[in-house]
Amino acid sequence: MLINILLLILSIGIYVSFGISNLIYILFSTVTTYVAARIIANKRVTKGGEPYNVNYTDKENKNAEIIEEVKDENSKNNQNKKNGKWILIITIAANACILIAIKILLYGQAKLNWLSGVQIIAPLGISYYTLQVISYIVDVYKGKIEAEKSFFKYVLYVMYFPYLFIGPITRYEDMKNELFKNKRIKPENIYNGTIRILWGLTKKIVIAGRVGILIGTIASDVSAYKGAYALLAMLLYSVQLYADFSGGIDIVIGGSKMLGINLKENFDSPYLSQSIKEFWRRWHIALSSWLKDYIYIPLGGNRCGKIRNKINIIITFVISGFWHGMNYLLWGLLHGLLVVYGKILKTKWKPINIIITFLLVSVLWSFFIWPDTLTSIQMIGSVFTNFNYAEMFSNFLELGLNMANIIVLIISVIALIIFDIKKEKIISKIKNYKLEGKIAVIGTLALIVLVFGIYGIGFNVNEFIYSKF
Amino acid sequence: MKYLKPIIVIIIFILIFIFLNKLLSPKYMTDLVEGNMTYEYYDEEKNHEVIFIGDCEVYANFSPMVLYEEEGITSYVRGNSQQLIWQSYYILKETLKYETPKVVVFNVNSMRYSKPVSEAYNRLAIDKMKWSKEKIDIIKASMTKEEDFLSYVIPLLRYHSRFDKLTNEDFEYLFKNKNSMHNGFLINKNIKPVESLPTKRRLSSYEFEQNCYDYLNKITKLCKENSIKLVLIKAPSVYPYWYDEYEEQIQKYAKENNLDYYNFKENVEEIGIDYSTDTYDGGLHLNLDGATKLSKYFSKILKENYELTDYRENEEISKIYNEKLETYKEAIK
Repeated sequence: MLINILLLILSIGIYVSFGISNLIYILFSTVTTYVAARIIANKRVTKGGEPYNVNYTDKENKNAEIIEEVKDENSKNNQNKKNGKWILIITIAANACILIAIKILLYGQAKLNWLSGVQIIAPLGISYYTLQVISYIVDVYKGKIEAEKSFFKYVLYVMYFPYLFIGPITRYEDMKNELFKNKRIKPENIYNGTIRILWGLTKKIVIAGRVGILIGTIASDVSAYKGAYALLAMLLYSVQLYADFSGGIDIVIGGSKMLGINLKENFDSPYLSQSIKEFWRRWHIALSSWLKDYIYIPLGGNRCGKIRNKINIIITFVISGFWHGMNYLLWGLLHGLLVVYGKILKTKWKPINIIITFLLVSVLWSFFIWPDTLTSIQMIGSVFTNFNYAEMFSNFLELGLNMANIIVLIISVIALIIFDIKKEKIISKIKNYKLEGKIAVIGTLALIVLVFGIYGIGFNVNEFIYSKF
Repeated sequence: MKYLKPIIVIIIFILIFIFLNKLLSPKYMTDLVEGNMTYEYYDEEKNHEVIFIGDCEVYANFSPMVLYEEEGITSYVRGNSQQLIWQSYYILKETLKYETPKVVVFNVNSMRYSKPVSEAYNRLAIDKMKWSKEKIDIIKASMTKEEDFLSYVIPLLRYHSRFDKLTNEDFEYLFKNKNSMHNGFLINKNIKPVESLPTKRRLSSYEFEQNCYDYLNKITKLCKENSIKLVLIKAPSVYPYWYDEYEEQIQKYAKENNLDYYNFKENVEEIGIDYSTDTYDGGLHLNLDGATKLSKYFSKILKENYELTDYRENEEISKIYNEKLETYKEAIK
């Protein structure tokens, strides 16, 4: 309990440190969804319904009495749903509208010069916590989970600072047990959590930091750096984004692990995917599964005709693009099309499939590298029209990294690839190490981060690419 | 015994960490030797009757070896590149922990700067300072916005990116540096005559900031408390950076606090400085010849006004200084 109180104070403190105005939005989301969930739950009880789904088993009290089945289950559930339907719709609309409005306003200001003189700043973590609170209220409405009685616990779920800024987007049913179980800070969790954090830092500041310098140079001048340079930027951005985002998630998961809180994985070696469809099962898993459960399935999922199913997939991906920002609608659409029609690109050779998928994903990251859609399309086009590969290779060392740093980058990327391929083996091996072995791993990673990390004056290590979406 | 192996592993990593901190920190032996100025003082015999504090205008313009040769004065220049006034204060405070000179000479040029200027200059002045309360205070007072305290505690955080710039020098001077200065004086024999001067800039205000006065007051107070005679000077320079308004304020301050103030800009002819031969950077600083002339001139002032001892007649100290003088003469050949 004490740890949770401290966590809540710390979470609020950290959040407020980025600007007190942020607090208004997150409090709005927290209070509206908490109250709405309570009303929905109370309506069920007072109108004779069950507080939550009869099939739900309280994980926290596994040995507790299993809720007995209720007669006329279907009719009562339907009645219950009607009771809370409008509350659900209004609550989702209120929260989603803020997120949608902010995304549109940010785009309008950046591209169309809207509201000049007024600086629109997205409330920190709004893209993440909005999805969390929506999943909570929907799950309560569906009877999948019980509405949380304790406001304190619910606030901690929404504001838990490690995942507030870059995710992973969590579900209340997962977090309830993790956040509110009797935590014991165990040495084993400290060692494993520290290793995870340091591995995340290695990815973030040794790999992503270095790649960021190269991409920064290339993206800074579209007239000078196109063709081969553009292709290089696309391939490198795949590395940077993965190292930056998954590194950040490693830090979040590792930090939580130290507190005895287990978070779900957000990545599963995504660049080893053999199709775009598979890629989305392994990349940003929390967002993909959220979109599946709260957009794709409610749209009808695959329980409808083939054409409608394809449309559902495309709509889901366009919404995914919108979640990233108005700039990325086309990116979402293209991913949707590749998921729907990706089969035609599949060969019978696994390595070829992996390479094709990696290239497609990389090319589509163009929309994240260059500032607008048109430039991104022009840069993709230049890859096929501007064959300046010899020039690029001869000027490679003028892109911001010298040979020593290139070597560090190559070695660390190879280490990342090996880790992704042999992840389970490596993790179980480290878990079985004796204490001195774990300390050696921690010491080695710490020294690698300290010496080879790109940080210090001129570099903002605290900024993660995915925190801006 | 259960924890013996983990403890050994931890010790090994701590040693590697210390080694990397040493290895990656700049040694300032061939490039930017100014970075060693603060550090070289610690190796000195602490027997100085005159201590200079201030920016490049002290370590480039005043040679303690000339003061000794001329008048037997023992002195040390605790100067740094762009030493800011609060840095002068804390450097003086630190110096007083080792010795109490009769005279402290402070070059007032730093009254022009009321805010931290540059991380690079901070590093040159502070990095090699010994850990003490003064070092903590000097860091806090000097840090620019982008700096952080921890990187002064753990140099690796600042210099880690030097891993690709290591040279033989980094290994040769891993644990011990070679002295490059002569009691804090940096020899520069180059000649670059005055050709053109920057235009005089108009300022929105010519008043020294209160922050600078606060530190000047602190220096004055510190000297008074330790019965040290504080002497204010302005070193000669033909660059138009020292305005008449500045001069008036310093004269007023000196008068109000009963301090001696010498502006050597006014005595260039009397000193014998020739800006076609006595400067290494077109008139901003003096070269060896110019510094020798100025030091000779100032040695007479010091001797006549501040009851300093002629250590040429002290067997023990003259032995040390004669050796230093020999090294100095070898260096200026």
